[in-house]
Amino acid sequence: MSDPLGKAPIVAPGHTAGSVTDKISSIVFERTPRWWWAAFGASFLLVMMLLHSLTKLLFTGVGIWGINIPVGWGFAIINLVWWIGIGHAGTLISAILLLLRQEWRTSINRFAEAMTLFAVACAGIFPLIHVGRPWLAYWLLPYPNTMELWPQFRSPLIWDVFAISTYATVSALFWYVGLIPDLATLRDRSVQRWKKMLFGAFAMGWRGSAVHWHNYEVAYLMLAALATPLVVSVHSVISFDFAVGQLPGWHATIFPPYFVAGAIFAGFAMVLTLSIPLRRLFRLEDFITLRHIQNMAKVMLATGLIVAYGYMTEIFMAFYSGNQFEEFMILNRIAGPYRLYWWALILTNVLAPQAIWLRKVRTSPALIFLVAMFVNVGMWLERYVIVVTSLSRDFLPSSWGTYSGTYWDWSLFIGTIGLFLALIFLFIRFLPMISIFEMRTILPGAKGNPE
Amino acid sequence: MSQVFAPPPDIDRLRSRAWLAAAVGIAVSAGGFFLDRGQFFRSYLVSWLFWLGIALGCYAVALLHQLSRGAWGLMIRRALGAATRTLPLLLLLFVPIVVGLSEIYVWARPEAVAADEVIQQKSWYLNRNGFLLRAALYFLIWMGPAWLLNRMSLRQDAAADDRTFRRMQGIAAPALGLYCLAATFASVDWLMSLNPHWYSSLWGVNFIGGHAVSAFAFIIPVALFLAGRKPMDEQFQPRHFHDYGKLLLAFVMLWTYFQLSQLIIIWSGNLPEEVTFYLTRTEGGWLWVSILLAVGHFALPFVLLLSRDLKRDARKLAWVAVVLLVMRWVDLYWQAAPAFAHGEGQHGLHLHWLDLSTMVGIGGLWLAVYFGELKKRPLLPAFEPYLREAVADE
Amino acid sequence: MNGVEQETVGTYGLMAEFESPTGLIAACEAAREAGYTKLDAYTPYPIEAVWEALGHHKSKVPLLVLLGGLAGASGGFLFQYWVSVVAYPMNIGGRPFNSWVAFLIPSFEMMILLAAFAAVLGMFILNGLPMPYHPVFNVERFAQASRDRYFLLIGKIDPHFDPTETRRFLEGLAPVEVAEVEE
Repeated sequence: MSDPLGKAPIVAPGHTAGSVTDKISSIVFERTPRWWWAAFGASFLLVMMLLHSLTKLLFTGVGIWGINIPVGWGFAIINLVWWIGIGHAGTLISAILLLLRQEWRTSINRFAEAMTLFAVACAGIFPLIHVGRPWLAYWLLPYPNTMELWPQFRSPLIWDVFAISTYATVSALFWYVGLIPDLATLRDRSVQRWKKMLFGAFAMGWRGSAVHWHNYEVAYLMLAALATPLVVSVHSVISFDFAVGQLPGWHATIFPPYFVAGAIFAGFAMVLTLSIPLRRLFRLEDFITLRHIQNMAKVMLATGLIVAYGYMTEIFMAFYSGNQFEEFMILNRIAGPYRLYWWALILTNVLAPQAIWLRKVRTSPALIFLVAMFVNVGMWLERYVIVVTSLSRDFLPSSWGTYSGTYWDWSLFIGTIGLFLALIFLFIRFLPMISIFEMRTILPGAKGNPE
Repeated sequence: MSQVFAPPPDIDRLRSRAWLAAAVGIAVSAGGFFLDRGQFFRSYLVSWLFWLGIALGCYAVALLHQLSRGAWGLMIRRALGAATRTLPLLLLLFVPIVVGLSEIYVWARPEAVAADEVIQQKSWYLNRNGFLLRAALYFLIWMGPAWLLNRMSLRQDAAADDRTFRRMQGIAAPALGLYCLAATFASVDWLMSLNPHWYSSLWGVNFIGGHAVSAFAFIIPVALFLAGRKPMDEQFQPRHFHDYGKLLLAFVMLWTYFQLSQLIIIWSGNLPEEVTFYLTRTEGGWLWVSILLAVGHFALPFVLLLSRDLKRDARKLAWVAVVLLVMRWVDLYWQAAPAFAHGEGQHGLHLHWLDLSTMVGIGGLWLAVYFGELKKRPLLPAFEPYLREAVADE
Repeated sequence: MNGVEQETVGTYGLMAEFESPTGLIAACEAAREAGYTKLDAYTPYPIEAVWEALGHHKSKVPLLVLLGGLAGASGGFLFQYWVSVVAYPMNIGGRPFNSWVAFLIPSFEMMILLAAFAAVLGMFILNGLPMPYHPVFNVERFAQASRDRYFLLIGKIDPHFDPTETRRFLEGLAPVEVAEVEE
């Protein structure tokens, strides 16, 4: 940090409302850079792989996966939780930091919200396909039917349906509402008529009148206030999928808060993973400054400590409980057949983020990027450990088993990463990836009071 | 900003009232000690945890502010700091719990342990020496950084430099982490082990969330008192109370979230060794206490605190805070007391006058010391880079 | 935009362009003092001071959100109650038909969902969106309102409106330009 109080500017000095508008909207109007084609092309290939695996899955069935008895929940749930968790940082950056009046969020919130949307899209694939016959997935919804059946509302799986669909809807609303004034800006900047029409249609005739802005700001704040508890509830519901069961390693009351913290942890790692290279590629260092990177790294460290606290509490409670199954579960994680996963998890999720305590690491985007990559891997391992170790060795030794993912498990997972990246690349190409109107508000003199 | 914000002289009036309450409360409780020793210790534990919760909550909030540097915290920094300096008193007040250990905890009675296999399995953790050693460690973890930060804050007043400022921030981060760790284990030792068969890994987090509610519920009335008198009356503005109200609301929601999570998981799991916790608390009189807690600790303050006008009105906000302060005691009582009745064949709700007298006794003593500490320092730090921003007009 | 070719169209009002928010705020206040009531201001980002200078009332969005939230929470709970107790009662692990602990979660999600819809749709309705055509877009310079310029509009429907008088008034406020807004 350049000044002693850590109050480095969130926008590089010298920018005006005009220059901010021109710089950010120019990314949309300029010629497509060559690297974009390469990056999009590569992720598009992965999308093709995803489609191939999905087709194979639909024609053959979930038998192509590594799941078995007793490990009936494998990659599908691991990937669902991983993706949903990544999504949460976007909502958090937009909503909680808005409520806390953290102005530095402005340069990254649009981007993070888009990330949420795409991550939820990737997450949503897995519960749909894991039901085995996805064309009947609408059976999950409560609707009047000829069989006169209704869902069973005591099950966390139906809670999931409500939580995830609400989350996807509200995230999309939040993102779109945030985009409207910028779409109006793009409409007014467009030269070609078809672009004007297209942006204009989505801007819905936004004029930026005082009445508009007033209702808009109130609605946006309300959405933020709603999205904050929503995000907490969504990952808590995800944790209930495990915690309301009675399996050792799943049935723990600490799960909801520790899952939520883990989600934020993973999400901030992903925002860092994406924003550090993108700010370089699009020369956005003026807007996404070192201060943003550092603040995000600190949030990542703090939530990482909460996650570590969760691991510690699990271990302590297993021994405190005096319950032999709980004790065995922990020992099995640490020294059982999946111990490598557990130790890798400790390395990536607990030890690696501690590097952020060091000033040297905090001031280097490259090193923070490295730590974030560790966390991305670590959070996937965490879900792997929770799902697989607990299921593979439950109460009865005669029903123990082993699990490992097949090619199709991996190709589906990597395919969704491709889908996520492809959507991100499309987004940054065709829409303003930084909220233009909010950037104008944080410039000096913007509030209309003499400075 | 060269003005010195000396505490108002009528703190002394509050202080003498607190001493009076302490004298009455301690005298009555001492009588109770001879009449019903077991009840004395059980009431004492809950009362002690209540006042400890306020002090520790203030400590945690002070650390949180040190890290995040919001304008909200600067105005109450010294009021929070004074609470952290009461920790030695609370350590002293821990002595009666040590004395009455076997009256309070089942696992501290050798004959009960001999008859209970589950407790035997847990005796590596639940034993007298371990309990005392850990308590000493907790207080060391809390009092050490608190003492250091208090000293540095004073030094910062004398010599205006931002080195101290930076170093305080550097201490606050690990101190907050250590506080959480110690509080988690303390919650197991002091509260959860009252019912040695039962366990819930959320317990520590819930304990910490309760501290945060206690801290704001206590500090808002203190801020109201200061805001009504010179020299702070010109510094406090509605927006400060607005912020406290928002934070109080946030922590009330957090507390509710923890409570509900635990309820949903244990209710759904429906395991015999766990669900007893809720069964005893929904029987007879305890059902009403549970409902009171749901309404008073969540529903009512939640609805009231949604209002922007209420949050900006210091007096009304302080009323909500006082309700929550009472609820903090109800919460601790609700957590602890059903376990006491356990084993003696009486599950019902039995309020005792010692519950009140120990609250008044410990509370009077604690408040007297607190106001004494509050008087010792200026109410705003002299050197604070964000001070101007914090007291600026809206 | 294409107002140049058109011959005679009605006037919607007069619009003054300002370079800074302070200029606009001063103009809003001056216009209100001069007795104008049918005012609107256009800015590239929300400025609370403009809203205050125009003397407007509170937004109705919070009320709509409250109603949406209440409808979602109560509707969600009652629906689950009806399904689980009346329409399709089923014994699940000995739990009561009215398992309110479990029902809290979908009720909560429904509350958030309907409240969020109320916020967004309420904002659209109160703002009169979508509105593909509006006379202000006829002013060529108005495109700058979404970049870095600030506009004040005095509508023709204002009782004090007079084409020459109002133009003179607006020009006295040191604007960059005063333009006629064609219907």
